[in-house]
Amino acid sequence: MTATTTPPTTTPVVSTDSTPALGGGSRYPTARLTLGQMRRSTGRLAAAGIAILISTAFVTVTLLVGNIVTSTTYDQVSARYADADLVVSHSSWELTPEDAEAAGAVDGVAAVQAQQTYFTELSRGGKVVYQSIAAHPADERLSPLRLAEGDWPQGQTDIALPTDVAERLGLGVGDTVNANRWIVDPEPEVQEDGSTWYDNQEVTEKLTVTGLVEDPYQAYALTGGMAVVSAATLDQWVADDSGPDSSPTYDALLVALDDPAALEEARQALAEAVPSATDVLTTQEYAEQVVAEMSGGQNIVFLVFVLAFAGVALVVAGLVIANTFQVLVAQRSRMLALLRCIGADTGQLYRSVLLEAAILGLIASVAGVVLGALLVQAGLLVAPSFDLGVPLPGTISLNAAVVLVPLAVGVLVTLVAAVTPARAASRVAPLAALRPSDAPTLRGAGKVRAVLATLLTVGGVALLVGGMAMGRTGQADLGILAAVLGGSVSLVGVIVGAVFWLPRVAGAFGRLVGTSGPAARLAAANTQRNPRRTAATATALLIGVTLVSMMTTGAASARVTLDQELDAQYPVDLQVGTTSSDDEGNPSAMPGDVTDAVRGVGDLRAVAEVTTYVAETTDEEVVPVVAATPEALTSVLNTPEGAEGFGPGTLLVPAGVAKNYGLEGRDTITLSGPAGEVTLDVVPSDLRTHDAFLTPLDLAAITPAVAPNALWAGVADGADVAATVAALQDAVSATEEAVEISGAVVEREAYQQVIDVILGIVVGLLAVAVVIALIGVANTLSLSVIERTRENAMLRAIGLTTGQLRGTLAVEGMLIAGVGAVLGIVLGLVYGWAGATAALGNVGTVPFVVPWAEVGVMLAVALVAGLVASVVPARAAVRTRPVAALAAE
Amino acid sequence: MSTQTAPVVRARSLSKTYGRGEAVVRALDGVDVDFEQGRFTAIMGPSGSGKSTLMHLLAGLDSASGGQVFLGETEITGLGDKALTRLRRDRVGFVFQQFNLLPMFTAEQNITLPVELAGGKVDRAWLGTLVETLGLGGRLTHRPGELSGGQQQRVAIARALIAQPEVVFADEPTGNLDSRSGAEVLSFLRRSVRELGRTIIMVTHDPSAAAYADRVVLIADGKIAGDISDPTPESAMAGLDALRTLEPAVTTGRTGA
Ligand SMILES: Nc1ncnc2c1ncn2[C@@H]1O[C@H](COP(=O)(O)OP(=O)(O)O)[C@@H](O)[C@H]1O
Ligand SMILES: [Mg+2]
Repeated sequence: MTATTTPPTTTPVVSTDSTPALGGGSRYPTARLTLGQMRRSTGRLAAAGIAILISTAFVTVTLLVGNIVTSTTYDQVSARYADADLVVSHSSWELTPEDAEAAGAVDGVAAVQAQQTYFTELSRGGKVVYQSIAAHPADERLSPLRLAEGDWPQGQTDIALPTDVAERLGLGVGDTVNANRWIVDPEPEVQEDGSTWYDNQEVTEKLTVTGLVEDPYQAYALTGGMAVVSAATLDQWVADDSGPDSSPTYDALLVALDDPAALEEARQALAEAVPSATDVLTTQEYAEQVVAEMSGGQNIVFLVFVLAFAGVALVVAGLVIANTFQVLVAQRSRMLALLRCIGADTGQLYRSVLLEAAILGLIASVAGVVLGALLVQAGLLVAPSFDLGVPLPGTISLNAAVVLVPLAVGVLVTLVAAVTPARAASRVAPLAALRPSDAPTLRGAGKVRAVLATLLTVGGVALLVGGMAMGRTGQADLGILAAVLGGSVSLVGVIVGAVFWLPRVAGAFGRLVGTSGPAARLAAANTQRNPRRTAATATALLIGVTLVSMMTTGAASARVTLDQELDAQYPVDLQVGTTSSDDEGNPSAMPGDVTDAVRGVGDLRAVAEVTTYVAETTDEEVVPVVAATPEALTSVLNTPEGAEGFGPGTLLVPAGVAKNYGLEGRDTITLSGPAGEVTLDVVPSDLRTHDAFLTPLDLAAITPAVAPNALWAGVADGADVAATVAALQDAVSATEEAVEISGAVVEREAYQQVIDVILGIVVGLLAVAVVIALIGVANTLSLSVIERTRENAMLRAIGLTTGQLRGTLAVEGMLIAGVGAVLGIVLGLVYGWAGATAALGNVGTVPFVVPWAEVGVMLAVALVAGLVASVVPARAAVRTRPVAALAAE
Repeated sequence: MSTQTAPVVRARSLSKTYGRGEAVVRALDGVDVDFEQGRFTAIMGPSGSGKSTLMHLLAGLDSASGGQVFLGETEITGLGDKALTRLRRDRVGFVFQQFNLLPMFTAEQNITLPVELAGGKVDRAWLGTLVETLGLGGRLTHRPGELSGGQQQRVAIARALIAQPEVVFADEPTGNLDSRSGAEVLSFLRRSVRELGRTIIMVTHDPSAAAYADRVVLIADGKIAGDISDPTPESAMAGLDALRTLEPAVTTGRTGA
């Protein structure tokens, strides 16, 4: 590079200032330039700012909620230790009853309570709860529970129940409840080979409800509440359950002191008295330790899960920002060129755009953090009016991470998004200042981009297909991994390549609508003028819509597959059986009033009376059978096709039963019983029941115990499962007969609810990204209106009505939004189905399910949003008088 | 007024072609011309004759297809972007026909911007001189939107001169002005040369504008077609007419070296 020679000194007035070397230009003019340009572009930047604001608010809310979850968890955990002063703990659960005694003997210790929970099944009528039970401590300070009614339990058969559990079981103080628990035999059984083991028996005891307890600090809110029995009873139950050879161990002993102020001495003394203890901690220290161990798990998973969606929102916001800055740079190109003419170097223009992005990012992020904090605070204010069963803090607690992480992320995303536009700004040639052209278009997309996009798309699709294949062959783990990776890579490819194909698709759509009039034709042509911008705007929407559509499709496909699987897994919805048996050991006959009661329950599709029996085969084996008429069986099964070929003289043998009872490969089978023998033709079935089926007549040939002893019922399609089950429970318990209700329908319903809830949350989180993308559509539209002010004025001057101008912009907005939405929906359908196949391919064939309702909603939202997005720009366009616009530079 | 000063800008066999094949346009075709220091020179020719192209090449705003341009001892044809930027900061000033000023800055901020971009300190005395010479007192705090077209061009002239460049290029600086404002701007340009000792090269198609210059270089079809010293509106007009009637190159007074 040629060095400049000394210029001839010709200045008659004053001497030239020495100018510093290039690149050392002060930041000051850049900053002032930036601020000046920002002031002129406030409106244009505002929409981009809102995109960042929403995303950072999202991140802030996530972090704040994460903190609340942590602190709520801490509150609940620490509530469990009630007002204990100290906790003697052992990290691997090795404290013994002797340690507890030793601790109790320490001077100044008022009471010691070992942390111990027992579980038992409580039942009354047809209703069953699986209840956790703790001992009533010697000192009130060691329990977070308070007595609401009645007395604390004292005797061997006393129990105090949580108020809500008692209500669910329909119990009051003084009532009795059945408790099932296991007792290990005192003497071991000796095997033939000399080894010994303890057998155990299930016993049912009647317990008296002496009191109702409440949990004011919600210590057990998330574990279904805690019932209380006396310490002696609990010790007995634990001992019964674990057998004579083992003694219970604890992870913590809660200690109450006579004088809480003498904490340190007591701590010392306890450490000496229980040398095996890992730690002697204050309640607070111990709770912190417990929460720290927990938060490695669920809290992190929650944060990562939700932050992933915040990430999607940020990516979409980044696209909106990039788009806005690209337009701004294009619009300012003459100004930038002028600056280059008067000595601005490329770095100054580059920095100017980046500084603008940084300022925008910072302002928007600060606003986002504030908005996020306000939203969570508002949530906390209204939360108490919903009964969440969890004590929430009254105010949010801000910490450095909650404020700084969203700020940093927001500014960073804005900066990264502005890099390409900034480079475009620095490339504006000085000569552009002298050209009469309005807004020079930015450089077109290059070959490298095309190659990269193709590679990513093809490679990603290959991975995706591979993942589906793996899913089908049973490698679901690897399959999902490959599918997620492939899906992400191909989506990136599609986005990178959007500039090539998306405008063409928009053009095709445009030609379709273009037939409807000049305004529509104009709109279609406008979308083709700046392919890059059209592509970027539609892409932002496409990402959001793709993800939403993917989740709904994936869930719909998964739902159908899981439904099929659940039908097969649980062929019968509900079963009512008797709990007593006759002298022969067969279940007692079903009392008639129960049958009537069950038949009286609405919302049941079918009720079948069946007889269960254990038949003997000729080779001294047994096989459990169920007798039912073919009509009754078919009516009650969720997969009736499994009963095909079943009739008199046949034994319907499900594959699993054949395998378990050695009946494989047999054409006929002879069953025997007290009444005789019967030879039946084997009809194989793919039903997944645990019994074989025969007709009642055939059963009568081998046993006189043919009276129905069970009822099978199917819940009607579309019925409220929980309500139906509850109605059934109520109906059955009203008969006061010894029967129990079991059935898969509740479990199955729970599965479906989990899918629905997760899906709802995921779609809700992704919707944030869609909202941001729609803001992007509005922004692009208004930017292009500003850019076309003169042109629009010219069109008005040659006879375009204001209505037509509005129409043009509306069609343009709807075209961009519609193209983004349609393409996103199509991509989402494919991704969703592929993902469901990879995950569930080994469970069953995953059908390609189009969730039409959701698809319709997404399309409608996009089109309406495109229309709405055109309103403000259209007003601006219409307001400009033709003459004024033409005169304006 | 000296006529024997060294040339500050020189073009040698300068040519510029646009497009290719059938559509090729020879905008400049072997131009040799010198511009002396401390003089006000007008480049005049009919529309499309290559005036703007010549100016762009002389100022290093565009790359030549052939030939050389020197600013002082520096050959600017073939300089890289960094060197050209430095050149624009320190040694060259511009005044355009339109869109000269940044709308968000005041007149003063617009004037001092080049110095600030270069990271230098504004010479207040020189600024004062410029403001006085160009009659901008009392207008410094106004934004471009609040200034008349003529005032805007005077601010642009002040900006072009603030870094005391070796040469100022002006492309049709009066093209957008009414004749009164145009005359005003032109006399300010001439004052800048006479009183402040600056060098100005102005492109115009208007003989009466060219008459404000010390010298007129005529250009037609991308070639130098004449040279008029100390032009009057009449002599400039005659030169332009001679070009239109396709007469051979006219030369009056002293010929460019
Ligand atoms: N960027 C360009 N591309 C193609 N042709 C150009 C370009 N700029 C100028 N020209 C052509 O070069 C010739 C000279 O143009 P110009 O220097 O602008 O003329 P003037 O300023 O004298 O009116 C004209 O024929 C014009 O059409
Ligand atoms: Mg021109």
